[in-house]
Amino acid sequence: MPRIRTLLALATAVAALAGCGVGGGSGEAAKQTVATDSPLKGEISFQTWSLKNDKFTPYFTALIKDFENQHPGTTVNWTDQPGDGYADKVTSQVTSGSLPDVVNLPPDIAHAVAKAGGLLDLGRNVPTLNQDYVHSGLKAYTYADLGTATYALPWYLGTDVSFWNKAMMQRDGLDAAKPPKTFDELVAAAKVMHDRSGGKDYLMSRPPGLGDIVNSGTQLMTPDGKKFAFNTGGAAAMLDKYTAAYKAGYLPSNVLTSTYEGNSALFVKQQVAWTTAGGNYIQSVQQSDPSLAPQIVPSPALDTAPLYVQGISVAAKSKNLPLALAFAQFATDNANQVAFIKLAPGYLPGTTAAAGDPAYSKSDGTPQGDASVYAYQDMQNAVNFTPPLWTDAMNTALNQQIALAMTGKESSRQALDNAVNQANQLLAQ
Amino acid sequence: MRSHRSYTPWLLVAPALLWLAVFNLWPALNTSVLSFTNVHTLSGGSFIGLRNYSLMWQDPHLRDAILNTLVFMAVCVPLLTFLPLLLALLVQRTLPFMGFFRTVFYFPVIASAVVVAMIWQWLLDDRGLVNGLAQQAGWIHSALPFLTDRWLLLFSAIALTVWKGLGYYMVLYLSALGNVRRELHEAAAVDGAGTVRRFWSVTVPGVRGTMALVAMLIAVNAMRVFAELYVLGGRTGGIGGQDVSLVMLIQQAASGADGRLGYASALSVLLFFLTVGPLLLLARWNRRED
Repeated sequence: MPRIRTLLALATAVAALAGCGVGGGSGEAAKQTVATDSPLKGEISFQTWSLKNDKFTPYFTALIKDFENQHPGTTVNWTDQPGDGYADKVTSQVTSGSLPDVVNLPPDIAHAVAKAGGLLDLGRNVPTLNQDYVHSGLKAYTYADLGTATYALPWYLGTDVSFWNKAMMQRDGLDAAKPPKTFDELVAAAKVMHDRSGGKDYLMSRPPGLGDIVNSGTQLMTPDGKKFAFNTGGAAAMLDKYTAAYKAGYLPSNVLTSTYEGNSALFVKQQVAWTTAGGNYIQSVQQSDPSLAPQIVPSPALDTAPLYVQGISVAAKSKNLPLALAFAQFATDNANQVAFIKLAPGYLPGTTAAAGDPAYSKSDGTPQGDASVYAYQDMQNAVNFTPPLWTDAMNTALNQQIALAMTGKESSRQALDNAVNQANQLLAQ
Repeated sequence: MRSHRSYTPWLLVAPALLWLAVFNLWPALNTSVLSFTNVHTLSGGSFIGLRNYSLMWQDPHLRDAILNTLVFMAVCVPLLTFLPLLLALLVQRTLPFMGFFRTVFYFPVIASAVVVAMIWQWLLDDRGLVNGLAQQAGWIHSALPFLTDRWLLLFSAIALTVWKGLGYYMVLYLSALGNVRRELHEAAAVDGAGTVRRFWSVTVPGVRGTMALVAMLIAVNAMRVFAELYVLGGRTGGIGGQDVSLVMLIQQAASGADGRLGYASALSVLLFFLTVGPLLLLARWNRRED
């Protein structure tokens, strides 16, 4: 009996301690109203994502110095996290209670942090939110499952532009001045390139994803936004076309395996003549491969362009909320956003005053200038393809099913049915 | 004096026990408790009874994961139990350059599993060295799908694991072979036993304890296979996730800002019981032979 009692006591202790480890997010912290009438003082931390480099470091140094000068007695400690594994880094910061006071988060990561009660509702604390910031950006940080709160100030907006390798296209009988404008034209041009090069050159080089499903005219979710329902005839037809193109050899055979480096890497290696990338892609290539840059011709994104948003959030558990909120607003105000975007042509500011500036629609005549204008034009109608409820696990399930369809192991319709079922099961968990 | 002696051994083992309790026992117990909750990476969980365990059987990849893991173990255990023994017998001799060969065979053990898997990935890719040479030689017309066919990918990962593990287990056998009495071999030779007969009648019984240990180590490692399949097959576990292993399934469930830690814990408990089963069988076999 004493042994049983000891075991029971141990089990109870384990359960209690494990309960502590579970942790939990409270929405109360997010709903607080920050007092902004007292003078600003003290320290805060500010975290960006992969922006500490020769190009951006001087900007952030000046931005912080400027803020500190305007508010004597304040200090902003800037840290930058590398590009890879940012979600994991933020996750560990949240669980260890060390999330920076002001933090750059994309909408999907912000959703997870906000769900755990980790972000301040900015709609409650920035009265001019809707007038100052672009609505598409605000919408990306307002989540149906979390009410009407807004969890970030839109910082910069991006989209995809198409980039073509002029030399490769000429070599295989295609005209880079008249590139494909739709997915169907792309497949037709991919066939020409494949046939003319004897299968050595590729135009298409990526398997389809969520964006392609949306571009097939499919709504990802049911009208009430509670379930995924993208297993439509249109999506299956799109997947059928990809499957036929893959079987015909118009895509590299390894696009479904771990050896696939991504269409951007293959484009730089000149194995593929088309890639999609942000509006400043030519400028980036100019630095990494000056011989390739003159060969690149930009054109608008095929079909509907995707919208990418980056925002600046405030940690709900910040010990200096007034200062954190003030700095977040300062970093994302119109003047600072305009100055920031000058360093990254092809992106748009998240402020309404700047985003509609016609100056962004004028090219300087260079391919990079043209790309920036295409990005500006695309962004007027760009769509954020990824719903906030879409998780990594759902994306894995979709990619697995797409791979099964493209290798002929399942029909497109069955693959989409399976992906939808798995996504809905994950949603219910 | 006597009472002093009674707690001295406990004091000596206390650091080890503390280590075991904090870094092994506690996480194991915590995992078991979490398996009954719906805790996610960033959100607190509540008790949900056996729901995670019932969800497991609806997981479309669980059956594949168990099958792949068991096949991986079933093939790796005999291969990695016997091949290193044969290799140890070869390099045990005191011939010129034998030290060099021992080092060469041990070399893959030093390299990280990820680096080794990447090298094999380059070898086995559609445009890799193996397919390229085979096509140039005219043995095949189209590339063999080492990385896209379910079973070819699994057996490629097994080949990689065997290649990488040979050297390590060879070293274990080398020390065990040193304890097999030379007189037994000589007596068997005098009685007319050939090389094969002496191997089965003298060498194998002499190293059986080590063989059992090696088999158990391989079984445990095989049940935890991850890096080989992850790098060769990709993060989704090959085409359609058909080559996913149990540990990959756990990693997939627990990763990301929306990681399902409760569900991943339930999978970990399943992995624990699946690992303990073969270990008990091997231990029982070893005891019976004794």
